[in-house]
Amino acid sequence: MSKIGLYLCKCGPNIAEVIDLDSIVQSISQDKTVAGVQIHNLLCSEDGKKFLAESIKKNEFERIVIAACSPKQHEATFMQVLSSAGLNPYMMQLVNIREQCAWVTPDKNAATAKALTCIRAAINRVKYHALLEKKEIECDPGVIIIGGSITGLETALRTAQHDRKVYLVEETTLGGRIKNMRVLLPLMASAREILQAKIDAVRNNKHIEILENCTIDDILGFFGNFVAHVHAQDKKEHELKAGAVVLALDAQQFTPTGLSSFGYGQIENVFTAAEFEALSSDKVVTKSGKPADSVAIIHCVGRKQLGYCSKICCANSMKIARDIVSRSSGTKVIQFYKDLCLPDKSYDRFYEETQSKGIQFIRYNEIEIEQKDGHVAVKVNSPGDEGIKITVDMIILSTGITPPSRAAEFARMFNVPIDEYGFLKQEHTILEPVSTITEGVFICGGMYGPGDITDSLAQAGAVAGKILSSLVPGKLLELEAKTSTVSETMCMGCGACVDICAYGAVKLDQNKNISVVNEVLCRGCGNCASVCPSGAAGHRHFTTRQIAQEMIQILK
Amino acid sequence: MTTEKNKKILVIGAGLAGIEASLLLAKAGRQVYLVEKESYFGGAAIKSEEVTPNMECATCMLAPKQSDILENKNIKLLTLSEVIDVNGEAGDFTVRIKKRARYVSIENCIGCGACFEPCPVSTPNEFEEELSKRKAIYVACAGALPNAPVIDMENCLRSKGEDCKLCKEACMFDAISYEDKDEEMTVNVGAVIIATGYKLGDIGQFPQYGYDKKSNIYSAFEFERLRASNGPTSGTIQMRDGQKPKSIGLVHCVGRDEKKYCSQVCCMYLTKFAHYAFEQLENIKVYQFYRELTIPGKGSQKFSHEVKAKGVEMLRIKSLVISPNGSDPPVKIEYQNEKSEKKAIDLDMVILAPFIEPYPDTDRLARLLQIELDDFGFIKTAPYDSVATSRPGIFAIGCIQSPMSMSDTTIQAHIAAGQALASTEG
Repeated sequence: MSKIGLYLCKCGPNIAEVIDLDSIVQSISQDKTVAGVQIHNLLCSEDGKKFLAESIKKNEFERIVIAACSPKQHEATFMQVLSSAGLNPYMMQLVNIREQCAWVTPDKNAATAKALTCIRAAINRVKYHALLEKKEIECDPGVIIIGGSITGLETALRTAQHDRKVYLVEETTLGGRIKNMRVLLPLMASAREILQAKIDAVRNNKHIEILENCTIDDILGFFGNFVAHVHAQDKKEHELKAGAVVLALDAQQFTPTGLSSFGYGQIENVFTAAEFEALSSDKVVTKSGKPADSVAIIHCVGRKQLGYCSKICCANSMKIARDIVSRSSGTKVIQFYKDLCLPDKSYDRFYEETQSKGIQFIRYNEIEIEQKDGHVAVKVNSPGDEGIKITVDMIILSTGITPPSRAAEFARMFNVPIDEYGFLKQEHTILEPVSTITEGVFICGGMYGPGDITDSLAQAGAVAGKILSSLVPGKLLELEAKTSTVSETMCMGCGACVDICAYGAVKLDQNKNISVVNEVLCRGCGNCASVCPSGAAGHRHFTTRQIAQEMIQILK
Repeated sequence: MTTEKNKKILVIGAGLAGIEASLLLAKAGRQVYLVEKESYFGGAAIKSEEVTPNMECATCMLAPKQSDILENKNIKLLTLSEVIDVNGEAGDFTVRIKKRARYVSIENCIGCGACFEPCPVSTPNEFEEELSKRKAIYVACAGALPNAPVIDMENCLRSKGEDCKLCKEACMFDAISYEDKDEEMTVNVGAVIIATGYKLGDIGQFPQYGYDKKSNIYSAFEFERLRASNGPTSGTIQMRDGQKPKSIGLVHCVGRDEKKYCSQVCCMYLTKFAHYAFEQLENIKVYQFYRELTIPGKGSQKFSHEVKAKGVEMLRIKSLVISPNGSDPPVKIEYQNEKSEKKAIDLDMVILAPFIEPYPDTDRLARLLQIELDDFGFIKTAPYDSVATSRPGIFAIGCIQSPMSMSDTTIQAHIAAGQALASTEG
């Protein structure tokens, strides 16, 4: 039997004033399984840590129970002390007799009794602790970027550093949606110039391999070691290896077919903003080639159906209006808007400047578009004015942003959930905005959600930051030691653990019909162990036996 | 000849942005100096009880990140510290840091708080927006990290010639030392990340809002602290007389016209305030006085609709004047609606959403670092390279460069970590 040592911390007066530590020492000394008990004034102090390490060595203790504060406060501290004393750091159980006893149970006898029960339970538990080791694996620092959009280009440029190979896979040719735009917010800069500069930089970067006209067939593996199979239009096949995957496909625009009040697809000269931007003519002309003397831009088309504000359409509508006026100074442009969403510090001025160019803004509650003598009539119900009717030559519908068409397909490929709007779900909206629950798979641009070029470039930079900091060439990946396991003999292959695992770490081995845990992806949450009906799935540091022995002692 | 670039990084400001950037850099094996002006770290984020759109507990979200910072061997957190001089260039900066005395040893202190009680001083608590008092030896709020108090020597009786030793006598760990002195240190780094954050603009400069810190007209952070479970009322929303309000007015866009920019996050946090009110106060009436509802992105509209469905009256206005009423209900709002009709309403409590402005003293920092500011006083960054300042090797992230959401702040922290790594390779 291994020698168990128990250490009680007074935490100055914090524990000692409420809990009678001497009586605990007395009670425990009757327990023959405990080889020694020591009290210290403050174990976490430099003096205390030194005492602990020396005492463990001197007494040749093999398993340790420490009764002190919350594991959140000092578990890591004491694990380090164990390591320095030559013990496996998992050969320890920390009992929280401060926050969970001394600070919440004012009655001294009750607090002491509770602390004693918890300590006994920990002693019983630590007997069954297993030697756990943190493993390290080699990883490939390379990156596979899916989507040759501006976001994909930026991610490639930002990650292609030194010893890192970057593959940029695009189904058609590089450029994405920006190819169809004339100018970009917020500077009204030439879209073509900005895009071309990025494409040139990518083509000239020796770390980047461009695979145009290529389709991803599958990607297998996990963080640090992905393998992708790609085929080109000419049937040529490629196998790519990398440590991370970036989904950088462009978003789409909402198509207002079926929204009869906007007349899209039914009335001539009703365009979506994207269609209008893609018109190649330098002049602003109607479909019949006549100059458009008046244009109405209607905001928030599809917002109700999509269930969210697409963020960029208000400013984008102003951009289009200004582009029209700059190309055709006589054209009158009216904006019909609902709420002006201008979330950029430069946009209030941009709005003022837009107004000063003679572009008119009218708020609408309801709107209807109808054909009228070769023109288009806009019937508007506006606050304070319920019957405005304006006739124009052309209508531009400022439609919302929708997810890339292949979002769901890639979500399935990587076991990443999609949100209720069809975008890929972030690991955490605030703390891990460009990560997914599948470690090593990142999202930006259209996969992330609605946003403008600034947002897309920022997300690309953020993905690069995540990759550069987590996949360092030559550095090993340290894995979680407290992972799950599945017993091959007990597993029935029901797949309950596969479904519940939030990290895609459990997979069904089709040949053997049993579950297998990928230790690289497992974060040790234990969900699989609790859901397993046959007791095959377990957790290395929360085994059924450890928990049972702890509970038995508490319930005695 | 190529000179070796210094691989250490300096991060100024330990709020969400600075914490995130530091953790990524440390993960890559880099040494980080994380400089924080206050005695605690976590920034403005830890002032909020919950954050939109998923109403997660902000302090719970930050706490594991904060312990990561404290435990990480690659990160040296310097609290009560400020950068006072910067020399050199990208890849090789020499930075002088002034570290003010805490008078409490972080190593010895266990954070038990035994020193607070005997302190005879009572002074307004700045962290609590002066809604409560603190002692001269204090922590900003319960749960503040590092878990050790600081002595505010300006208010301590010792600075007034008295030989008070009450806190030292109460300390059982010999953690207090009145002899501590301010220190200066010099560090060499290859890149600098500025993450000093924001503050809410001064409402006092706009008399139409009637903000006097006496009546029931509150600024956003005051209300946030009223709802905070570790705040002055332990999370109970109440008026200055301790009564619960029956009606609340939420006023958007305070200072937007004058400052000429949208602060981006106020519509959402005011929606959150309405949610707080419905959660806690039965039969509460909530009015929002707004102009343009700015709730971009996934999830925001859904949250806004859910809260609105509980009965918020949305009043789109052209202008308004707020004044203490002297009667019951105590605050009057006179406003002009969208149709230019003049209206008025009396309310128990009014909460103002002021414009977000750069953290004070940003111009001094900009001069030290020789970087440019924009027209609004934020640190200027490149249009399509959003964290690059006007000087190579220096990056600005989070609300010091523009008002932005917490997720955008994290995104910028990630970018800066990547760029700082890339710029100091080789």
